[in-house]
Amino acid sequence: MRLIGAKVPRVEDRRILTGRGRYVDDLHLPHMLHATFLRSPVAHARVAALDASAAKRAPGVVAVFTGEEMKALSKPIAVPMAEAMGARIPEFYPLVTDKVRFVGDLVAMVIAETRYEAEDAAELIDVIYDPLQAVSSYEAALDPASPALFDELGDNIVYTSSSSAGDVDAAFAAADRVVAMTLRQHRVANAPMETRGAVADYDPASGELVYHAATQGPQGLRLALANTLGLPMERLRVLAGDVGGAFGLKGYVGREDLCLAAAARQLGRAVKWTEDRNEHLLASGHAREEKIDIEVAVTNDGSLLGMRAHMTMDHGAYPGVPFPAAMFSGLVQMLLPGPYRMQGYAFDVTAVSTNKCVYVAYRGPWEMETWVRERVLDEVARELGMDPADLRRRNMMAGDADERLITGLSVAGISSRQSLERALELIGYDAFRRDQAAARAQGRHLGIGFATFIEAAPGPPEMRMGGGMFGGEQAKVKLESDGHLTVVTAQAPHGQSHETTLAQIAAEEMGVPFEHVKVVHGDTSVTPFSLIGTGGSRAATWASGAVLLSTRKVKEKVLAIAAEQLEISPEDLEINDGVITPLGAPHKSLPLAQIAMQATMAPNSLPPGTDPLLEAHETFKGEGITGSGWSGGTHACIVEVDLETGHTQILRYVVVEDCGRVINPAVVEGQIRGGVAQGVGEVLYERAAYDEDGNFLAGTFMDYLLPTAAEIPTIEIEHLETDPDDELGFRGVGEGGAVVAPATLTNAIADALAPLGARVYDQYLPPSKVLELAGVLPTT
Amino acid sequence: MTRRVLQLSVNGRAHELMVEPRRTLADVLREDLELTGTHLGCEHGVCGACTVLLDGLAVRSCLMLAVQAAGTEVMTIEGLERDGEMHPLQEAFRDSHSFQCGFCTPGFVMTVLALLDEGRDLSEVELREELSGNLCRCTGYQSIVEGVQLAAERMAAGR
Repeated sequence: MRLIGAKVPRVEDRRILTGRGRYVDDLHLPHMLHATFLRSPVAHARVAALDASAAKRAPGVVAVFTGEEMKALSKPIAVPMAEAMGARIPEFYPLVTDKVRFVGDLVAMVIAETRYEAEDAAELIDVIYDPLQAVSSYEAALDPASPALFDELGDNIVYTSSSSAGDVDAAFAAADRVVAMTLRQHRVANAPMETRGAVADYDPASGELVYHAATQGPQGLRLALANTLGLPMERLRVLAGDVGGAFGLKGYVGREDLCLAAAARQLGRAVKWTEDRNEHLLASGHAREEKIDIEVAVTNDGSLLGMRAHMTMDHGAYPGVPFPAAMFSGLVQMLLPGPYRMQGYAFDVTAVSTNKCVYVAYRGPWEMETWVRERVLDEVARELGMDPADLRRRNMMAGDADERLITGLSVAGISSRQSLERALELIGYDAFRRDQAAARAQGRHLGIGFATFIEAAPGPPEMRMGGGMFGGEQAKVKLESDGHLTVVTAQAPHGQSHETTLAQIAAEEMGVPFEHVKVVHGDTSVTPFSLIGTGGSRAATWASGAVLLSTRKVKEKVLAIAAEQLEISPEDLEINDGVITPLGAPHKSLPLAQIAMQATMAPNSLPPGTDPLLEAHETFKGEGITGSGWSGGTHACIVEVDLETGHTQILRYVVVEDCGRVINPAVVEGQIRGGVAQGVGEVLYERAAYDEDGNFLAGTFMDYLLPTAAEIPTIEIEHLETDPDDELGFRGVGEGGAVVAPATLTNAIADALAPLGARVYDQYLPPSKVLELAGVLPTT
Repeated sequence: MTRRVLQLSVNGRAHELMVEPRRTLADVLREDLELTGTHLGCEHGVCGACTVLLDGLAVRSCLMLAVQAAGTEVMTIEGLERDGEMHPLQEAFRDSHSFQCGFCTPGFVMTVLALLDEGRDLSEVELREELSGNLCRCTGYQSIVEGVQLAAERMAAGR
């Protein structure tokens, strides 16, 4: 029974297509109250006075919490990961206590019988703000004359770090030339179609809090609620039903979450909060605002010798909980040189606080490394008068056994070169150059761009052994008394189809029909611990391995019983379609359900020495993977830029992707296409814009533009399934599309505009910017 | 706030309820009638997740007041199955792996239902234009376009 590799229809689809999904806002509990938040209209100010008396008297209002009242119910919010890496953390609470620090900051919480009443009452709260200068740019944040967001920190620099590898000075000394530039990436929003939301349900009799949440990390959320509010873990249960997208955002613990849980405990009633889209765009989280000053040392014949990079990150007003912005700079540092040889590399980073929304992870939060590297390589090729494909061919590692990134990790077995060559072949690179010349002669501006990435998911042996930084991934598998399987995962899916893919793995391993496997997730009272939950491509890589190991363990127990009963060695037994069959003796077959029922109902009747508990809870720590551990690929696209309108049309988009052993091609391709669409949106349409006073300018979907079906092109995909014999060779595919698409598309636009002398240093290329670059409009 | 009597039919069942004039159709469907299949993605008419059919026309239930729907026949995602069988459009979306997180799905289904009902032959470019009033953040749309094309083929063959 081959399920792994098949386009198995999704288990999730029946309920999703018939309106039976259960998203958190669908929950209606008895006597449930509704919360809304009063948010700051200004970027930076002291709260001089707050009068909530009228709101408290408004119809339907049950409670209004101010900053001081909430502070009494909460400890300062901890960010252990920031502490561990030496980032500076201010003291902050669920609601503001002294100052507001961005437009959308949390000033007060109103709880009423209905949402309408809560919002009516919030309008009655009088607040007097004493404005302070807004810190709205890297430059302002680094200026010692600017006010500090947090008085106790003294300035706005929250993290610095530097590192080097190889001999960077020697590399630059040996260079024929150094290509230097500053590359800027703009602030964007994850913008899942479902906003954030939760229902906190507290039972005063038992002291138990059940927290229903739209989360991709239920266990991390549970931990943060317990730590901040002093709730005992055994009485704190987080439940996640269907989650309507997240892309990194819903792995964070919102200050709203802490408010909601604290209020429910205080009031002894269930309280619901559903974020509206304006709040979401304003205050849920933003990503990607980073710049890198980069210098590349090269020889005239196109050998890369070294890189120096200084990264600046705008982490917004507050640290992200539990994953602060600064932690992603480590991944950027590791991957910036990419699969290219060089002799020396230096990297440093400065993360600053500004009066903007908190920085969160967004689908491949290290994406800056691919964009900067692949963009600068095109510029290096241009300086040298070289073909950008030839420059890459000259420097790209082949994946030989002894090859390592300059930052240390082994890249034995990577397929970067194969993906590059195949992508260029599929898009017809050589033929395109001829077409492009002809089109240019007709006044049409066509461009081609391509870019290559690698992703450590699960990473090479030295990174994955022992389970990596999170100590592996757990799963539980239980054979039910009817011979069906229950699989319990620590993953928290929100579109990734784990109910399907993990069932494919368990069913094939056990030898039961796919329909006999149920995947359970999103209930911390039964699911194993994982701080991340679903994120960082952990499902395909780590969770698949954990389900495989646990299923195998259960199968061993079953076969040990069957072997005794049939007096046949377990090695001579197989399970197919739920029937245990001795090899060469099919007449002695025995239904799996028979042993399952016997083990459940009459465990004493089993053969001595066998285990009646037909379940397993295993931790997968990366053992048994034989392949490279690196995902990767090359994307290529062709664009036409219209210099009348500034519009960029994507004429073709080709993906060559290596994510190892493909579990379900339809799921994999959906992940790739969705990521590419987000990358395209990021370059052409989306910007979470602020003005210099820190006012937010993109608070609706008419200002924050998501691409539609009319803008996203057909995306052609080819899989390179390297390491076909690696049974556990499932590699991550969640991020790749979003990581490499911005580089691919900006390189194509830069290529189209090259004859006009334009240089692309910004990732955001809406029509107005394209026209500026082309010299049609004056530069702003 | 004063409430008014509202009579309307939803998925073939008549309802009479008391609503505030400011209450949206989406809130009446989701909260008062507990038909939570209709989703709210933006509440300002851009994302299309809340699309329902009002006397056969696709409308955004977040932008309509419930009282404006008085006397109409509303169809929501919950109204598509017949005798436990999914509508051919739902089946085609399943077979095409059209969706991921599923939050935008009901809006797409209802929008496309109205579109297919028009019976026009659409090129892919035209189809993508028709779909551009609904946002999906997961899929990149290709699988949705394929699902609509498959449904159109099957429904044409079945006529």
